[in-house]
This record gives sequence, C-alpha cells and structure tokens, in this order.
Amino acid sequence: MNREPYAISLNSALTEIKKTYPGIHHSFLFTNTGLIVAKDLETNEEVIQNIFESFDDLKEKTKTIGNINNFSVTGKNGKLFLSNVDDMYLVLATSKSVDESQINSITKIIIPTILKTVETLVSTHLQSKPEKKLIVDTISGFFAGDSVQIDKETLIDWTNTLDSDEIKKTKVTKEETSDSIDQVKIETFAGNSVLCKVKEITDPKLKVKNLIRIPEKICKSLVVKKGDQVLVKPML
Amino acid sequence: MTNKNELDNDEALQERLKEIKNQKGIIGYILRSSNSAAVDLKDPQKIIDYAVLSSAVLDLSNNMTEKLQVGEVEKAVVESDETKLLSIKLGNNHLSIFMEQSVDHNKLCKELK
Repeated sequence: MNREPYAISLNSALTEIKKTYPGIHHSFLFTNTGLIVAKDLETNEEVIQNIFESFDDLKEKTKTIGNINNFSVTGKNGKLFLSNVDDMYLVLATSKSVDESQINSITKIIIPTILKTVETLVSTHLQSKPEKKLIVDTISGFFAGDSVQIDKETLIDWTNTLDSDEIKKTKVTKEETSDSIDQVKIETFAGNSVLCKVKEITDPKLKVKNLIRIPEKICKSLVVKKGDQVLVKPML
Repeated sequence: MTNKNELDNDEALQERLKEIKNQKGIIGYILRSSNSAAVDLKDPQKIIDYAVLSSAVLDLSNNMTEKLQVGEVEKAVVESDETKLLSIKLGNNHLSIFMEQSVDHNKLCKELK
C-alpha cells in the first residue's frame, strides 16, 4: 500500500489535533509491523522504534487474551494511550488532566474517519492509474542492459487501459507488439524510484504474469532484491 | 524489616482482593511484593501465561512512561476483545487483576485505594 497519502493526511491531522487539544504532548502512529506512518515533530523515531519493540513483545505475550485493542498508562505526570485503529496503533502522551472522552473521540472517531476517507480517495485515484504491483526478478550478466522486462500481457493491458488520446486510439490485441509504452516508473515501498526503458520478457520460461525483470545495477540503486514487490507505473 | 502497619495493610489488601475475586466477571489476580507473590486465578492452568503477561505489561508501561516522560507508573490497563488487565501499584505491592471486558476497572481502582 502506498502510505504517502496516509502520511500526509495523518501528519496534518496530528498537528491539528495537538493545536486543538493542548493536553496532548506526543502523538504518533505505527503499523503492526513497526512502520511509522505519522508522527509529530517532538517525538523522535528512535523513541517510537523502541516503544514499538516493547509493544511487539507484549503482543506476543497477550496471545492468551487475544489482540490488544487499547493500552493505557497513568503516570505521575501524565497519561499514555495506545489504541488499535484499523491495524495501526495510535499513541498519545497527554497531561494527567486530559479529558478521556476527547481522547476517545480522537481514537474512535477522528483518526478512523480520516483513514477511511484517505483509503477511499487512494483507491479511487488508483483506479484511474494503471499502476501495478510486480514481483522483482533480477537480470544479471554482460547482456543485462538498462531496460527492465515485463510480460507482454501486462504491457497490452496498460496500453488498453491508458487514455486513448495519450496513446493510441485502437486497442492493442495480444498478437500485436505493445510498443506504445517505452518507459516505466518503478517505485519501491521505501520510497526509492527510477524511470527506465521497458521491453517485453523474451525468455519463454520467464513469461510469468506480475513479474518484472530488473538489471542488477538498477536493483542496487533501488535497494530491492529478487522476490520483493515494487510499484510499476507505465509512462509515455 | 516489615513493620506492623505494613502487615495490617497487606492483610487489609488480601481481604479486599478476596471480595473482588468473588465479583462477577473477575478472572483472578496476581499480587507481587518484593519477596513473594500471591496468585488466585479461576483457571490455574493459565498461571504462567498470566504471570508472563502481567510482567510484560509492567515492562512496557515502565518503558513508555520513561521514553515519553510521564513519570512513574501508577496504573496500566490492557484491553482485548473479551478480557481486560488492570495493573496497579499499591505501596510496595504490584497488583494485576484480570477481568472480563464488561467489568468497570475504574470502580475496582477506587475500591482498592
């Protein structure tokens, strides 16, 4: 999942929430794998990582009572709230006098609503753009070249899906060569991206759907390896 | 050395815990002091699981309060779909009460203090 729209929306939301509720001192959101989705400026990533590791340890040990929905701590000088929101965990550190009904509104209404809205927007946006998640296979050796290779079927799908004004007015059939798409943009989930030439996979044994064969040196620059998933977008 | 007041407090706490244990929805408790532990759970087969969980909650609470600077832990509550754990510091003792989700843990806190 492309988390960029989530990060932008949620970072703004956390900033606004902090302005509205001055009792909140720290706020951040991480996934159940420890990926930081959004955080305020005051909290550093090492602290979040450390908290995630302790929390992950607790999750392992709570199997006897099931998945954790909420975890709250009252300290001498403040309170902490860790809440499960759509497979992510929102952490809020607040003053001791914070109104808990406001915290419930944030964790149960505001953040889930933002997540749902962003999800709807992202999926609508993706429907209009034929980006595809493909699995990386590496091309090595002297003849690796600079082009990536994708199966013919995917290239034809893209050609047919893309706006006819931008590419071609007649649909491409499976028998034709889909030479309309010259380039693709490859994005990794860590945010690295590269634009490169594309060809169809020629090796009949490797004509597998949803595979992208990438020369080793491009793999290195993208920091991906065989078996990883990347997001590939056709370019004109 | 333990003085008479502490012994009286411990006895009073044990009495209150016995009462709480009989309340509807209470699964059991683990009471730890510096040199002993008292365990009373409805399902004794889960003693180890609950003891590990109680200790992990304490570790996470201490770690989070230290990192996010909210001071020494007074109480922590963990909630899953069906079960709740109240972890609370009472003098030199550390008490973990396991209960069903429907139990009001704030009311229990008041009863204990």
